Amino acid sequence: MGLPKDFHFEDAADLPGSERISRAGYATLRRLVDRLWDVTVEGIENIPKEGPGILTPNHLSFCDSVFVPLSLPRRMWAIGKGEYMDSWKTKHIFPALGMIPVDRSGGDAAKAALDTAAKVLQGGHLFMIYPEGTRSRSGHLHKGRTGAARLAAHCNAPVIPVGHKGTVAVQPPDTFMMKPRLPVTVRFGEQMRPEQFGDPEDPRVLRRFTDAVMFEIAQLSEQTYVNQYASKDDTPDMAIPESDQPAPISVPPGRAKAVAPKLNGNGSTPKISVPKGRVVDLTPTAVDPAPN
Amino acid sequence: MCYDLRHTTVGKGPSYVNIASVIEDHPRDAVAIIANAEKVTYGQLRAQVAQLRGALAQEGVSTGQKVMVVGENEHDFAVALLALLGLGAMVAPIRPRNPLPEIQRKVQAVEPDAIVWCHSAAELRDFEDDLLCGKFLAIDDLESAEAEPAPIADRDADDLAFLLLTSGVTSDSKVAMLSHGNLDWIQQALTHDPETGINADSVALAVLPLTHIFGLNVVLFSNLRAGGTVVLQSQFDVAESFRLIREHGVTAISGAPAMWQRFLHADAPDDALGTIEHAAAGAAALPIEIFNGIRDRFGVELAEGYGLTETSPVVTWSRGITTKPGSVGRPVPGVEVVLVEPDGTPVEQGDSGEIVVRSPGVFKGYLDAPELSETVLTEDGWFWTGDMGVFDADGYLYLVDRLKDIVIVRGFNVYPAEVETVLIEHPNVSGAIVVGTRDEADGERVVAHVSGTATEEELDTHCRERLSRYKCPREYHFVDELPVSNTGKKLRRALR
Repeated sequence: MGLPKDFHFEDAADLPGSERISRAGYATLRRLVDRLWDVTVEGIENIPKEGPGILTPNHLSFCDSVFVPLSLPRRMWAIGKGEYMDSWKTKHIFPALGMIPVDRSGGDAAKAALDTAAKVLQGGHLFMIYPEGTRSRSGHLHKGRTGAARLAAHCNAPVIPVGHKGTVAVQPPDTFMMKPRLPVTVRFGEQMRPEQFGDPEDPRVLRRFTDAVMFEIAQLSEQTYVNQYASKDDTPDMAIPESDQPAPISVPPGRAKAVAPKLNGNGSTPKISVPKGRVVDLTPTAVDPAPN
Repeated sequence: MCYDLRHTTVGKGPSYVNIASVIEDHPRDAVAIIANAEKVTYGQLRAQVAQLRGALAQEGVSTGQKVMVVGENEHDFAVALLALLGLGAMVAPIRPRNPLPEIQRKVQAVEPDAIVWCHSAAELRDFEDDLLCGKFLAIDDLESAEAEPAPIADRDADDLAFLLLTSGVTSDSKVAMLSHGNLDWIQQALTHDPETGINADSVALAVLPLTHIFGLNVVLFSNLRAGGTVVLQSQFDVAESFRLIREHGVTAISGAPAMWQRFLHADAPDDALGTIEHAAAGAAALPIEIFNGIRDRFGVELAEGYGLTETSPVVTWSRGITTKPGSVGRPVPGVEVVLVEPDGTPVEQGDSGEIVVRSPGVFKGYLDAPELSETVLTEDGWFWTGDMGVFDADGYLYLVDRLKDIVIVRGFNVYPAEVETVLIEHPNVSGAIVVGTRDEADGERVVAHVSGTATEEELDTHCRERLSRYKCPREYHFVDELPVSNTGKKLRRALR
C-alpha cells in the first residue's frame, strides 16, 4: 500500500524542524521508507485534516518513531531526549521527524514536556506521545499513563489511538540497523475525547479515558493487554500477571495475610509530595488515641 | 499515593475509658433523647441507665459477657445499649425486623451469653426456643425490677465494646469487634471539629439504624457525648421525618442516598429542611443528581463521607471543605489513608488502588475468625478495606468500586459501579446491578441485571454512546426487584 501520497509538510515557525535541511531530510526519509519497507497504513481518514490531535501509539521498537510520523498525511511533533541533538546521527533526522528536544535531567522536566506539548496542540498541530511511557520489552501492551488524557482535556484536542505491528522485526531491541524488506502496518483509530467519559476534573475519568484508549490500541495493534506499567526489566517471555487474569468469582480475599503498605523500602520515612507543594513527613509520630 | 494528616490536631477533650460515660457530664435538665414525643433529659437518662445496669447485673449480666440486644431506634434501645456497655458487656445490637432465619444466623455468629428484647422486639419472644442462647431478658421486666443502680465498669481502650454484624456486601455473618478506644477516638474527632456541627446545641435526627456503625457512633454516641439532643425515628417515613425536623428544630441529619432520594421527591415545602445546618449522606455512593437536587430544592449541601464498620466508621469526609461532586472528601485528621497495589506498593499519583487505612478507630478483627482477620489487618494496624479509590491532586478521595467486584475483560478492568451509573442514567431504568461471568474468549464478560421498562436494544445503544466497548454489558437480565441490603447497598454477590 505504501505511505499516504497526499502528504502536506506542515510548517510551524515557532517549532523545530521547519528549516530547509529538515524539510529535505523529511522528504528523503519518506522516499526511503516507502521503497525499503512494505508499509500498510489504515484508518488515515481518522487523522484530522487540520487542528490539533494527540497520537497515541503502542511502543515496541526504536523505529516506531520513524514509521508512525511517516504514515501521517501531516507533520507531527513529539518530545525527544535532548541528548539526540548531541549526536550527528540523529541531530538532523529527528527534528525532521518532528522531535522537540527537551532536557529531561532537570527537576522541571515533566513540566517542560507538558508545556511543550501544550504549545504544539494550541498551535493546532499534531502531537505524538507513547502512553506506555517506554518501550514494551514484553511485547504486550502495557497500562497507559494518563498524560495524554490530561493533555486532551487541557488543550481540547482529540486523541487518536494508533496501533502498529512489524516494527520489532524491522529493528529488534538493542540493535541499530533497521532490516529492510519487511512488512509494517500502522493503523489509526477513531478520534476520542475525555469528555465522553465524564468530567475530566474527576480523576476516575482520566483513568477511564486512558483505559478506553489503550483498549482501542490493543485492538489496532493486536497485542495482549497487561494492566501493569511497562518496565525496563520486562522480558519477551514475561507471563501475564495473575492479577490481570479474571479473578475466581465469589472467592473471599485473595490474600492469605495482609501486608503493611510499602511506604518505603526499609520502614524509615518517605517523603511524599502532596498537593499544593506541601511535603508531608511520614515519620510515625505518637498519636494519642484518647487525648485528654 | 499516601496522605498522612497525623500532624493535624484532632482536638483535646474529655476522654472516656468506658464510652457509656458519654452521658455523665452534661447538665441534668438538657434534653438528651426525644422519642415518640417524649423528651428525656440527661438527668433522667443517667438514672434510667443506672437502674437498668443494676437490673441487668441482678440477672447475672457482667463485664466481658457477649450480649445481643434487639430493638429499633427507640428510647429503650438507647438505654439498653448504654446500660450494657456500662456494665462492661460486649454488645451486639440487631434489628427485630430481620426474618427469623437471619436472626438465627446472627445469634449463631455471635453466640451471646444473653439476649435482651426491647419493646419493639416483643413478638420475637415467641421464638426463643429457636435461638441458640441460654438467657433471654425482656426490657419490660428489667425496667420494672427493683434493683440498686450499678456503677459504670472501668474499661481499657482495647476492651471490646461492640460486636457489629457488618452490613458489607461480600459475605454473611462477619462480626467486627470494636473496642471502647476505637469508638472513643472517632467520637473525639467528630465532637472537637466545629465543622461537624456536633455540639451541645445540635439536634440530630437518628433515622439510620442504631445497629449500624454510622447511626450508632456518629449519630447517637457522638451527639450524646457533645451534650446535644438525639431525636429517634424508628422507621423511615418521609412525612414523619419532615414532621420531626419541623417540630424539634432538627439541625443535623444523616442518611443513605435512598433516603435523600425520597426527600428530594417528597411532597413538602421547599423550606422543609430549613433548620438543617449539617446534612450528610453515607452507606452507599451518592448519585450527583441527588446531591444537586437536594441543594437546588432545599438549599442544603450534602456532605459525603467514606467509612466502614471496621473503621468505626469515618475515614474521609467533606464537612468543612469545598465539596467536590463525586468525591467522598479528604481523610479525617488522624486517619492515614494509602492507596496500594496488591503487594502493598503505593500507587502512582492519579492511579487507583486498594484503600488501606490506619487509625485508632481501626477495629480489633472479626469475632472467632483469626484467619479472616489476618487477610485484612496487619500487625501494625493497617486495615485493607477491599475498596478501590483514587486521590485527585487536592487530596480528595473518589471511590471506584469493591476490589472483588472488578470484572476483567481481555485484561482490562471493568468497574461495575461505572456501568451501573450509566445504566441508571437511562430514563427507563430504575435500578441496575452489574456483575461478571466467565467467558471463554475474553476471560469474563459484563452482565447487567436491570429493573425498569427499558429494552435491551435501548440499553445497548445507551451504553455504547457512553462507555468503552469492553465495558458494555453483553447480557441483560430484566428483573422486578434488585437485591439490596438494609442500608441500601447493592448485593452483587446474590446475582453472580
